[in-house]
Amino acid sequence: MYGTHGRLLRVDLTTGTSGSEPIPEIVFERLLGGIGLASYLLLRCCPAGVEPLSPENPLVFATSPFVGTGITTASKLAVAAKSPQTGVIGDSLSSSYLAIALKRTGFDALVVTGRAPEPTLLVVDDDRVTFRPAGRLMGLDPAATAEAVRGDMGAGFRVAAIGVAGENGVRYAAISNDGRLAGRTGAGAVMGSKNLKAIAVRGSRGAPVADPKGLATAARGLAERSLGAGTAKYREVGTAANLAFFDRMGVLPTRNFQAGSFSGAEAISGETLLLDHHTDKHGCAACTVGCEHRYRTRDGGPATEARLEYETLFALGSLCGIADPNVVLRAAARCDALGIDAITTGATIAWAMECAERGVELGVPTADLPRFGDGASLLATIEAIGTRSGLGDLLAEGSRRASAIVGQGSESWAMHVKGLELPGYDPRKLQTLALGLAVGTRGACHNRSSAYEVDFSDRLDRRSEATARASAAATAEDQAAVLDSLTLCKFLRHALVDLHGESAALHTLVTGRPTSADDLRRAGERISNLKKLFNIRQGWTRAEDTLPPRVLTENDGTPTHLSRPWLDEMVDAYYGVRGWDEDGTIPAAHLERIGLADLVAEIQPVGTQRSTAPVAV
Amino acid sequence: MGLFPGLPDADRAPVIDTVAVELFGVPSLLAGQRRVAVVGATLQELSVSLAAVCPALLGKVIDPDTGWLLGGYTFVLDERFTTDRRAPIAPTSAVLLVSTVAGG
Repeated sequence: MYGTHGRLLRVDLTTGTSGSEPIPEIVFERLLGGIGLASYLLLRCCPAGVEPLSPENPLVFATSPFVGTGITTASKLAVAAKSPQTGVIGDSLSSSYLAIALKRTGFDALVVTGRAPEPTLLVVDDDRVTFRPAGRLMGLDPAATAEAVRGDMGAGFRVAAIGVAGENGVRYAAISNDGRLAGRTGAGAVMGSKNLKAIAVRGSRGAPVADPKGLATAARGLAERSLGAGTAKYREVGTAANLAFFDRMGVLPTRNFQAGSFSGAEAISGETLLLDHHTDKHGCAACTVGCEHRYRTRDGGPATEARLEYETLFALGSLCGIADPNVVLRAAARCDALGIDAITTGATIAWAMECAERGVELGVPTADLPRFGDGASLLATIEAIGTRSGLGDLLAEGSRRASAIVGQGSESWAMHVKGLELPGYDPRKLQTLALGLAVGTRGACHNRSSAYEVDFSDRLDRRSEATARASAAATAEDQAAVLDSLTLCKFLRHALVDLHGESAALHTLVTGRPTSADDLRRAGERISNLKKLFNIRQGWTRAEDTLPPRVLTENDGTPTHLSRPWLDEMVDAYYGVRGWDEDGTIPAAHLERIGLADLVAEIQPVGTQRSTAPVAV
Repeated sequence: MGLFPGLPDADRAPVIDTVAVELFGVPSLLAGQRRVAVVGATLQELSVSLAAVCPALLGKVIDPDTGWLLGGYTFVLDERFTTDRRAPIAPTSAVLLVSTVAGG
């Protein structure tokens, strides 16, 4: 297939060996690439029941046919592993030149297993693989690590690295590349558990596309449209624009979801940040939208500059009761430097703040506890998490594990789904999203389920029935799967009149394989099912498809309240829409119908056998 | 000829009251304020009135020809997202002007 190399690089850090394996064309035909490809390789290579921080857990990096083609926003790298935070699928996506460099090595994907005997830098230079000691890089933040590696090896190399948090096994550590993070679900902890501090990649061979002229014209048109009204919000204010509006709508998570609006919202709003703290804006690799806004502290303290997205802003701001933008900026900068997911960091600290508020014993002196609204304690706790010192050692486990350790009822205000902390949308008022978060395969994630779009529209109202919401949630999930697998930025979705049709046209130009909008819709459904299959294989049960008790009432189901019976009714309806059984498992006939059965036929069910099967030819 | 020649006559209903329209994101930055008091009996009238009070919105948020919102923007009327031009406005209505691109 054009746009692909049809092979992956497999590296075993324990033995210091590597080799190439073919990726059958049918995998790209059915699963596109990106997250679809990474999820497939993870399912193939990850044994059932594996301990996520063990050498056997594979760390997968995958590109897509669109990477390196000049299609705007498409230079994204998918990362997948069994998550040490959730125990289910951990899939992340980040934009970076590393994606282009990896594709140019002549491999579509990289699968890393094993554990190196010492801190290691993995170097992939076209198809040459070497392992270098990385002891001197330990303790460096990701940016400094990348700078040191490129200083040694040449600027032609692109680098993915972990920070101190990844080295210390913080369960929500991220992998950083070009300042962007594969942030959620703890891929950085998996990388750290392998003694892998960084990966340096350089390549010299592109993958030819089927119709270079046609693609150039189409890509130019898309780039022009990417600058229209559909992306104005991102370009001109950035995602931080959400904060004031969400506050006004009562859906801004505040003080650990104890409220949906925040008295300090205006002070940390996107508009205020733009007027008082903005420095400049950037685009990701090969992106024309340029949504990345950077800001600077203005309080006379140590000068700090950081990129801020809405999710970082809410998690380190309103969720922790922080109304000082300078504190939020310093906290965001430290999360990036330590290499940790800002959402989980803020949410886990907010859980601890509520523990402190309620007088729950956390095993440290009262003076060391973080407090709502106390910027100094927020910053100190972030440092403690990165180094796993004091209270940070507990909080490095994430809110689910930490609350299970502490007990005393604190599980009821640990705001997570499957161990992944909720994003910045209060589900009590956003009921389609509530369903999307509950059934999300990687836990509570707005990026894998953009069902909030339905709630922020006139398509459904508060009284809409369960099946309508279930259908909308499944459609949103599948659409996200398509974008994450192609790999196109979700911010482009508003620049496309016919998302599936136009994406299919691009896919045809790149791959030479005639692709229709329905082909992509089917691929999206397939990928969503594939991820669910991974979870089932790792022991998932229906009980995990729920929301934290705090956002659920116990009264009878009614479409105007987010009650437990109503959520259960929506989950039932979602399984029905998906064609799954009542317990959320996937019937064999359904796998057949959607074109997954032959791809996964020889993968063993839960607990019966450790799969070591290579990728099929 | 009115300010907005493309506006249908049916949409030129008499105004009834002052309503505070709350602006978010780009509209707020262009207008330089979060809240603008305007008059109108329908969302169309509010939009026209808003453009008159905040001309910076013209061409970026509000279509100069029709006085209605450009693609990419929507009203939220009493917590309901709507682009229904004829939606009636009550004196107690809460009206927000936001990007249709909700979320991250």
